[in-house]
Amino acid sequence: MTDRLSSEALELLRAIGLRAEAARRLRIGSAEAVLRSIVEATVALFRAEAASIALYDPATDKLVFRVAAGAQGQGVVGLSVPTSQGLVGYVYTTGQALALADVLKDKRFGRQFAEKTQYVPRSIVAVPLTDDHGTMGVLEVLDKRDEASFSLRDIELASVFARQAAVAIGASRVERDLSELLRSAVASLVGDEAADAPLDELVTAATSGLARDDESQLWVLVDRIARIGRADPSQLALVADLLGVAAEHAERAARPRRSSRIRAR
Amino acid sequence: MSDDEDLPAWSEPFTSDRRTGLQRLPPLRRIDRDWAWGGSDGTGVTVAIVDSGIEPGHPAIEGKVRQSVVVALDDEGEPRVRDDPDGLDVVGHGTACAAIIHSLAPGAEFLSVRVLGPDNRGKGVVFAEGLDWAIEHGASVVNLSLSSKSEALYGTFHELADAAYFANVLLVSAANNVPGPSYPSLFSSVVSVASHDVADPWTLYYNPSPPVEFGAYGLDVDVAWKDGERIVATGNSFAAPHVAGLAALIRSKHPGATPFEVKTILAAIADNPRPRGRRPPRPS
Repeated sequence: MTDRLSSEALELLRAIGLRAEAARRLRIGSAEAVLRSIVEATVALFRAEAASIALYDPATDKLVFRVAAGAQGQGVVGLSVPTSQGLVGYVYTTGQALALADVLKDKRFGRQFAEKTQYVPRSIVAVPLTDDHGTMGVLEVLDKRDEASFSLRDIELASVFARQAAVAIGASRVERDLSELLRSAVASLVGDEAADAPLDELVTAATSGLARDDESQLWVLVDRIARIGRADPSQLALVADLLGVAAEHAERAARPRRSSRIRAR
Repeated sequence: MSDDEDLPAWSEPFTSDRRTGLQRLPPLRRIDRDWAWGGSDGTGVTVAIVDSGIEPGHPAIEGKVRQSVVVALDDEGEPRVRDDPDGLDVVGHGTACAAIIHSLAPGAEFLSVRVLGPDNRGKGVVFAEGLDWAIEHGASVVNLSLSSKSEALYGTFHELADAAYFANVLLVSAANNVPGPSYPSLFSSVVSVASHDVADPWTLYYNPSPPVEFGAYGLDVDVAWKDGERIVATGNSFAAPHVAGLAALIRSKHPGATPFEVKTILAAIADNPRPRGRRPPRPS
């Protein structure tokens, strides 16, 4: 079974994986747009210096800051922290909302990481992003401008925002669990015997590099298209025309050169 | 059914010759704080802290950690408990909880059960294994300032909550701020705690509408933290140890009090506003 799958299915799985990852990247814009609006609303409501959302990345077992808002917020986007470290890691692992004042007193929680973001806060509230399946990340709010620390009501309000974020992310969860999706698809085709190690290897081989191969020209293209997708609809027609020309050009270039030689004669 | 032998074993404690052994609490209105824990400092009570560990040398703990263990997954993915002789708090949070309890019940001793660590896999089963260990190793009160959101572990935690109750172990758990699954804090035998904002560790409120039955001090609490430090922190996870501390005092003075009796005592001594001059209606 495994041999047959290895030769035929690997290509197929890779093709499905490629399309699913492309689809995920094209759609991520909408999920991120929701998350961004949530952190922006959070900053406005709390009159905070910054708010950000970190999501759990199972591939690296780290929490990655995906969106941020506020005058002091942007430095954190793209940074990641291990789940065993800091306030964010603690809130993610325990699912407990937590606020700290005088963060500077705690070397591990505050200073080291905060300095990387160019902004060292005085106070922090962090609440888990939770849906019925578990915790997927953390919403963090830094420094209220009007008050020295966060109140119990602040924690509850932040939790409501976090709940909204969790719902938005939950909607795109299927694409995030690509490997699991492929695995269950193949398992349903070939039956229980598929639950063995070679299948795992197969799925891993088919999907490896898809998620993190950011250097590849294909992903540059996909990411740009995702960005264009958020542009003014009136610009989309022009972009589609330009891409059409480029695609035609690419196809012509890919044809065997023999045909041009024939024409030359 | 006149013969005692015909009764099922469950009815045995209620037979006429044994009913005198059922004497329990005085009427609730006679229970006050002096009766509940006057003269007690928690001596003889073991409190387990299932959390990020306890820093044994922290000045706020005063050497009260009796044993430290750590739970982690082994190579086969099974949770295993092993000794952690030097003790370690990877965050500071477990030390904070233990120090709050120590400030209320300085005679109580601690079991540190560390369930948080660098490896995040299977955190729910690791937590469950840690709780199981605490129940089986002499804890009288277990402080749980963490919970599992996993629906898949509902049954496991339900069994553990029952095991604790039947073993006369009181579980005190921090409530969550958001609705949704949170185990074991949503089970009825567990004392589920949220925060109030009265800056007094002894102020306690009873909420007659479960699942969150008690409110304790949880806003801007000056707590012990990692590396011998202190920090100001807010959250239900700092409210729960205040109730665990009071429970330790009660169980030290009344070792036979069951988990539900401890709950009742806590409700009786709570600072809820009382209607003045009104007497409860008498049955006609």
